[in-house]
Amino acid sequence: MLVLVGTIPIDGMPLVYGQCEYNGDTLKIGDTLLEGKYVTLGTAAMICAACQTSKAVNAPMPYACVVGDTGMGEGNRKLFNYLIEHVTEIKPTVMTLHYILPTRDLFAKLLDEVDKIDPRPFMIADAGALLNAKALGVSKRFDLFTPDPGELSFLADKEAAHPAYVQHFIFDVDQTEVPKLSKQAYDDGNSPKYMIVKAPVDHVIVDGKVVAVINDPNVPSLEPIGGTGDTITGESSALIAAGFEPEDALEKASKINRVAGEMANPIPSTTISQFIPHIFEAAKKVIG
Amino acid sequence: MDDEKDKALIVFDYIYHAMRAKHVLEEAGFDVREVAPPVDYRTGCDLALEVDTDEVDAAEDLLIEKDVLILDILFMPKSEKLTPIYLTKLIKVSDYGDFVMVRCGNMKVTFEKATGKIVNLSGGGCPDIPYLGMNLYGTILGEGPRPREIGKTICAYTCEHAYEKALEIFNGLKGKKGGK
Repeated sequence: MLVLVGTIPIDGMPLVYGQCEYNGDTLKIGDTLLEGKYVTLGTAAMICAACQTSKAVNAPMPYACVVGDTGMGEGNRKLFNYLIEHVTEIKPTVMTLHYILPTRDLFAKLLDEVDKIDPRPFMIADAGALLNAKALGVSKRFDLFTPDPGELSFLADKEAAHPAYVQHFIFDVDQTEVPKLSKQAYDDGNSPKYMIVKAPVDHVIVDGKVVAVINDPNVPSLEPIGGTGDTITGESSALIAAGFEPEDALEKASKINRVAGEMANPIPSTTISQFIPHIFEAAKKVIG
Repeated sequence: MDDEKDKALIVFDYIYHAMRAKHVLEEAGFDVREVAPPVDYRTGCDLALEVDTDEVDAAEDLLIEKDVLILDILFMPKSEKLTPIYLTKLIKVSDYGDFVMVRCGNMKVTFEKATGKIVNLSGGGCPDIPYLGMNLYGTILGEGPRPREIGKTICAYTCEHAYEKALEIFNGLKGKKGGK
């Protein structure tokens, strides 16, 4: 069972845990219905992409645990406390942590609870969870990170506590920097076994080494669109939960996002809500 | 010659207050430097402000007057090395024809050249970033809310720098248009 975890930017939205259903205009999580702009914001964008991908491979719809938080951390605390109490009952096989506020004790306690699950879930971190895992030195307790080049620079700088403090920052992916920084991050214990570096050219990394480079189809206008990194995380999560080997899942997720981008024919003002509906068809095309 | 002064470091519980503090102090003419807090005070998402020791009392009084919550003030020897924030070095601008994307570190702001309308905002990882995106989307640079007014994390603070650069570019474009 895939469980996706994160916050939704709605003040006071109660915590909800349940199975998800994406219908184009709405996203249902348990009994909670998200509509309009909330369907594709942050964690919700990742969830929608995971729903679309799961549907394309005939896998069960993912579960999600989300709560309202606009940055003050109250919802974030509820989210962690709920998972600390219930994750061993939920027993996810794959769990993805996404937009969360960095926290020390609650994050560590959750990972301790996850360790009690047998077999241990495949743990994925993106966004705030990725930043938090590295800042706390617990990256090796995850199986997959999905950074962009800036986040990779942060993972490779062992002194930096946040991307804003990185001393050697890369904006663009090239054939020299990505292998070098990926190896550095892995050797320093700041990246897990698997990574996909999300950029105009995607890199799949296993044990600190580049094993695949994906640049086709190339859709330059995808880069400014907020959320296209979140969707790769959702697609990867869904494919791994559906039984694809991680390395294969990451290559396929990269392709799905690119093909969906091609179908959406985007310009820089295209929104993620116009992009996500194409993921189902793209996944069908890529998976066959 | 050894004329470097000892340092006073203002640290905060929430980056929201650090962002406000910087704005308040700079408006009042203080010389403020942004640095990472010492390790014992670090959570991973934080920012401290360094001021000269002979100005710290006045800075503290002003912040209290403006309701900016301070966690602590630390005095450090001049030899103490603090990591400066590199945001001004982390800016890159990409031209997409009718649109411009400004990146600062891990944050991106994209606007339409003709109108200054923000058409996309991405990056970051904390809960306030989707909230920022929702509130800034469709607003005009310089007229709508700013990341520093809404954001509460260092990603939002990084976004503020991208916004500032985007505004500077848009104002330049308007100037060129007006000068024709």
